[in-house]
Amino acid sequence: MIVCVAVVGHQNNPLYIQSFTEADDDLKLHHIVHCSLDVVDERVNNPKRSGSTLNETFLGLLYPTENYKVYGYLTNTKVKFMLVTTDLDVRDADVRNFFRRFHSAYVDAVSNPFHVPGKKITSRTFAERVSNIVKSFRLNPSG
Amino acid sequence: MIGVGKIKQYTNVLEKPINKGKQEVSLSAFAFLFSELVQYNQTHVDNIAELERRLEDAGYAVGARVLELLCHREKLCHISWAGFESLSFPSHVWIRLFVETAIEGNRRETRLLGILSFVHSTVWKVLFGKVADSLEKGTEHEDEYMISEKELLVNRFISIPKDMGTFNCGAFVAGIVRGVLDSAGFPAVVTAHFVPVEGQQRPRTTILIKFAEEVLQREARLG
Repeated sequence: MIVCVAVVGHQNNPLYIQSFTEADDDLKLHHIVHCSLDVVDERVNNPKRSGSTLNETFLGLLYPTENYKVYGYLTNTKVKFMLVTTDLDVRDADVRNFFRRFHSAYVDAVSNPFHVPGKKITSRTFAERVSNIVKSFRLNPSG
Repeated sequence: MIGVGKIKQYTNVLEKPINKGKQEVSLSAFAFLFSELVQYNQTHVDNIAELERRLEDAGYAVGARVLELLCHREKLCHISWAGFESLSFPSHVWIRLFVETAIEGNRRETRLLGILSFVHSTVWKVLFGKVADSLEKGTEHEDEYMISEKELLVNRFISIPKDMGTFNCGAFVAGIVRGVLDSAGFPAVVTAHFVPVEGQQRPRTTILIKFAEEVLQREARLG
């Protein structure tokens, strides 16, 4: 089950954080996202020497904590998407699919001429689309 | 995405395929909009430099968004090769690079040549329907590159009055290029210039890209 999604800008400033569960403390999720940023930087600056994984957008599982798993995705403009989930077995393809749709919603939100790059995303349409994507991810459990 | 240089022209509108909407805008609509943009800015500024700066800022916003969009849509795969050809003229030596590199589905460019050829082919193709005429490296300074075009699409219906000197509405395109480079992590100063060519009435347009110091240092570090 997806617990939280986040969009972090290229200077590691948060652009959009949304949690989808009432049980957990928001701050704890923010903290987890923040810690995963270090892992992203590590992956980006020390690429594994195999050519196929160089400069790929999907970064994979970043940071397994005791309850959560964090997946990362990096776009061309160094904007990072994070996904925090409590599922124990999540298929790689599902997460990639999720990030693809999330990227699509993000591009649409940024193409808004009234959106200032670097500021938080305040579009309601974007929030609705993201919750739709999260809901459909929940309905198709992996396995 | 302006309808210039389309591969297949449909004479009969009934023959157009329904399923995939054409991602083009009519040239006249864009020309009107651009002319209004220039006129609006002209009434709000006092001098030419300010006008150029405003057009560039408008282009910058477009460039930032174009990069996001293209990175998301790109699914092309070409073969990459690089050839070198050097020509000497009496007073300059230009080294012309013909670089055709690939964007392999959403890859992030970290190298200078990579991002330049991305701008030169992919961005130009999406915006103007064709690749730019040439990409050259300046020899006087290490950090200068030029993208030339026989005639920029935005300038097609524009003629500059004599008293405006060297003003070029291609500043809008220069802004787009600057937006793309900046968002990709290659800060640069981009300007548009007219270059007179013998034998042609209208001068060629050149977009001059001057990269910041940090970009060159990073490039040198990457080897």
